[in-house]
Amino acid sequence: MRWRTALFAGLLALMIPVAAGGAEEGGSVSARDWEQYKARFLDAGGRIIDDGNGNVSHSEGQGYGLLLAVLAENPADFALIWSFTRRELLLRDDGLAAWKWSPTETPHVVDINNATDGDILIAYALVLAGERWQREDYLQAAARIAKAVLDRAVLDHGGQTLLMPGVSGFGTADRPDGPVVNPSYWIFEAFPALDRVAPSPRWKELSDTGLWLLGAAQMGSRKLPADWVSLRTTPKPAQGFPAEFGYNALRVPLYLVRADMGDRDLMARLRKGIAGSDDALILSDAAGAVQTSLMDPGYRFVNHILACVLDRVPIPDSVKVFSPTLYYPSTLHLLGLSYVKEKRPECL
Amino acid sequence: MKSSIVAIAAVMTTAIGVAGLTDGGFLRQDDKKFNSLSAANQEASVAVGSVADKGGRSSAAHFTEVAQAEKPSEEGASQAKPEPVVDESALRYFAAKGDTARLQAEISRLRSLYPDWVPPADPLAVPRNTDVALETMWRLYSEGRYAEVRKAIAERQAKEAAWQPPSDLLERLNVAEARARLVNASELKQYETVISIAASTPSLLTCSEVDVLWHVANAFAQTKRPERARDAYLYVLKSCENAPERLATVQKAAAVLPYATLQDLLALERTTPEGVPEFESIRDDLARRFVAEGDEDKALAVDPRYVQRVETLAETGGAASDALLLGWYQLRRDNMSAAEQWFRRAHDKEDSASASQGLALTLIARNAPAEAEAVLYPWRASSPDALATYFAATANLLAIDPPVALDAAVLARIAQETTKGRDAATAQQFGWYARALNQPATAALWFATALRWKPDDEPSAYGLALSRDQLGDKDGVVEIQRLWSGRSERIARLGEVKDKLEEVNRTQVPTAEAQAYTPPQSSTRATAVAEVVEQPVTRRPRTGGTAQKAVRSGAGCRTTINPAGLAPQAALARGWCLMDLNRPLEAAEAFEVALQAAASQIREDAAYGQSLAYLRAGLTNKAAVSATKSTQTRGRVDELQTAILADRAIAAFDAKRYREAILFLDQLGQISTRRQDLMVLRGYSYMNLKYYAEARRIFEALAATGNRDAMQGLAAVEASQEIWPNKN
Repeated sequence: MRWRTALFAGLLALMIPVAAGGAEEGGSVSARDWEQYKARFLDAGGRIIDDGNGNVSHSEGQGYGLLLAVLAENPADFALIWSFTRRELLLRDDGLAAWKWSPTETPHVVDINNATDGDILIAYALVLAGERWQREDYLQAAARIAKAVLDRAVLDHGGQTLLMPGVSGFGTADRPDGPVVNPSYWIFEAFPALDRVAPSPRWKELSDTGLWLLGAAQMGSRKLPADWVSLRTTPKPAQGFPAEFGYNALRVPLYLVRADMGDRDLMARLRKGIAGSDDALILSDAAGAVQTSLMDPGYRFVNHILACVLDRVPIPDSVKVFSPTLYYPSTLHLLGLSYVKEKRPECL
Repeated sequence: MKSSIVAIAAVMTTAIGVAGLTDGGFLRQDDKKFNSLSAANQEASVAVGSVADKGGRSSAAHFTEVAQAEKPSEEGASQAKPEPVVDESALRYFAAKGDTARLQAEISRLRSLYPDWVPPADPLAVPRNTDVALETMWRLYSEGRYAEVRKAIAERQAKEAAWQPPSDLLERLNVAEARARLVNASELKQYETVISIAASTPSLLTCSEVDVLWHVANAFAQTKRPERARDAYLYVLKSCENAPERLATVQKAAAVLPYATLQDLLALERTTPEGVPEFESIRDDLARRFVAEGDEDKALAVDPRYVQRVETLAETGGAASDALLLGWYQLRRDNMSAAEQWFRRAHDKEDSASASQGLALTLIARNAPAEAEAVLYPWRASSPDALATYFAATANLLAIDPPVALDAAVLARIAQETTKGRDAATAQQFGWYARALNQPATAALWFATALRWKPDDEPSAYGLALSRDQLGDKDGVVEIQRLWSGRSERIARLGEVKDKLEEVNRTQVPTAEAQAYTPPQSSTRATAVAEVVEQPVTRRPRTGGTAQKAVRSGAGCRTTINPAGLAPQAALARGWCLMDLNRPLEAAEAFEVALQAAASQIREDAAYGQSLAYLRAGLTNKAAVSATKSTQTRGRVDELQTAILADRAIAAFDAKRYREAILFLDQLGQISTRRQDLMVLRGYSYMNLKYYAEARRIFEALAATGNRDAMQGLAAVEASQEIWPNKN
């Protein structure tokens, strides 16, 4: 049911692109916020820089950059980031993007493997841009990536449709505990958009599996999903990765909220598991013990967006105003602000 | 030149030949290009639209025109064309920058696009672009900042809804981005992406972008499309003039294309104004490269001029590497004497693993394994292949029949290497060697060692059983028989009738190996071997050809493989090789594969071989079946029938079915001259049936010829008769 609602909303957005932009003039990411973001994380050549990670770039960052450019209604920056992304990353024979790019290495692509969340973000942003600005070329590029995701990164396993984190290395034959998935690679809001350019029942199935996974993968007393989950038998933390609710999984509530997915119980469970007493976002281990208390406004915003959606708690001033810190939390911050501005203005 | 550009694009996308192109072909291609232009090009369609509006030409139009120029009889001239609007903004930009090289290139480009266009008299004096924003776009473009051009275009379009970028700029931007992307994909070995970009961007495939052509050619070669790769390289040699680039093209092609294909390229060699062939400077390297390819491929017929060229290099330059190339080249062609000469030259000039290994192989081939062992010993650890060759040398050395005297130090080091390398085959050979020197205890040790490394090694198990039997270790024999129960007839049968042991062996092995297990008395070498208590020695007579070949190839048939994938001829060779190694059951499998041959001669040989293999394995009934699988010559039929009937007779005798044994022996008598050993068997059969008169007659006749078994038989008959009444 939720799926249909989301799809319908998407169609509406397609028909009246400007109306979807939000209350004030411009996009749901304000021009001011976008200027601040790109001054810090976007270089002149169209590269989104992960300054928390040795200034490398990756398909995920390019995908976020493209998405934020759409949300900021900035076709010029979108063209800039897309040109770099296509030329430097979208090189794989199978049509997916190489995931990691380093400014100091030659060739710059240091790992030709893909990261499926990066592919999905890029394709999703291309769909939105193509629809919003009537760019057939963007839609075609999106369709090609979406089809490649279906062909290469979707696995049937135990009657379920799984989103593989990468084309290679995570499957049943690749690891003793395979298949291994990453719940935060389910970018729920993207699936209806990808279905529009590459129609397939798989997108709906993927969405369903993602929700099932969040219900089934509950770790420790906090009942949170691990970053990496083995689905060999019953869901459990994958071998070779820290068994923790960490920097990957902390995006999960944000993605759910942005897609208008997930029931109240799930949201409440996640909120309870991640919210620290001092407004921090808590990363925890398999037993539920606190590993890190994250204070960056971008991270804390995840707590506040849940509070807003569940209880209409107003977003506090301390996180209402965007000020860039590091690439990752700042990206999440803008995605969160964009959602609240567009869908929950009452919390602002 | 342009037509060739189109040609190569067509070759890539449609695989039709250069000559087979038609206008329709071009148009189809261009249609494909613009309709399917997947690569995200709204810009491209905009370009087509705006060009059409202005009555100008897209690149599609340009290819069509080129095609028409090639074929003027078509509609080309008669059409009334609107006057084209020539976009001179790039010209103005380059002029303003004083970039004369790019300026000239742009003039040439516009001329080829618009034949009626008259370039400005003084290009440097053309007015600057008055459009500052467009000027900026050209500047970014010329600096290779393509993403920023995209951004600038989008920014301007956001401000001025009606503004369209010049089609020339868009076209160039598309091509430049495609070029950069193609090079990136090539560096990351994403060859399908390389080919797909090239196919949708034919304007990249020109002499002025020769490195792109190299990337595309390489992508074809790396994706197993050598013909297409050749076409791309051929295009350069046919169309492009730059001498260093032509030379580099041949060098690059030589790295990825096979010999025969490369000859097509070399046929396009030109002569320089100085009268020198243009590829002369790399001819030596090409010759080396070709001979090296001949090293890998025995069937490759390299032009003798190239071989001679390398010979001259080896003789004059004296580089060991050139002599080595020739050594391997000749070795692959079984020119052992020439190969030995070149390997020796390389070995003497600069000893190396390769030189020593090659020399050792030639020495093994001409039956000089002792020298082979000595040459290769220092290099044995240099590679798995060298070690395999070393073990081939030692195996051959130890297998010489009759055994040769070996220095104790040499035996010791061979033993040490065998132990270190855990080479079961050589350990087995040590076992036979020790048996040959009448050292059953040492032999047993080696056979047991071989079995530890290769538990399914039936010959070693058999050797171990024989050695234990010789040592009087009955329990030990029984243990082996239990372990090999159902897997080896000859082991099962061993010691059943002690008196008949020699005979059984002889009958089971109707080939030259008949005397294999008769321990030769060789006291002179006993001392040397006795010191090699933990070491190996081989003894196994070889029948010659097949075994030598097997060894020469480095691996032969020692490796256990499934023969099902082999060609019949290869399976046949493997069968004989396995027979030489005394692995009859595996040999029978190989012969089974060879039985599938279309050629009757191979089938016949295979059936014969399989019969012999089953006979040696003690599987007489299977041998009889195999013998019928193909027609055989009279001689072979008799040989097989003799062996089969003899085996059956012995089996019947062992089972105390003496009448049956006599029946088989009677049948045998009809096809074969009477063998003395089988006559002894007949005598014992009669005796056990209490036909003492018959038995005595046979034994007496035989004993008169000096046959010791017959004399014993006669004594036995007399004893039986003596005792019999008492027992009764």
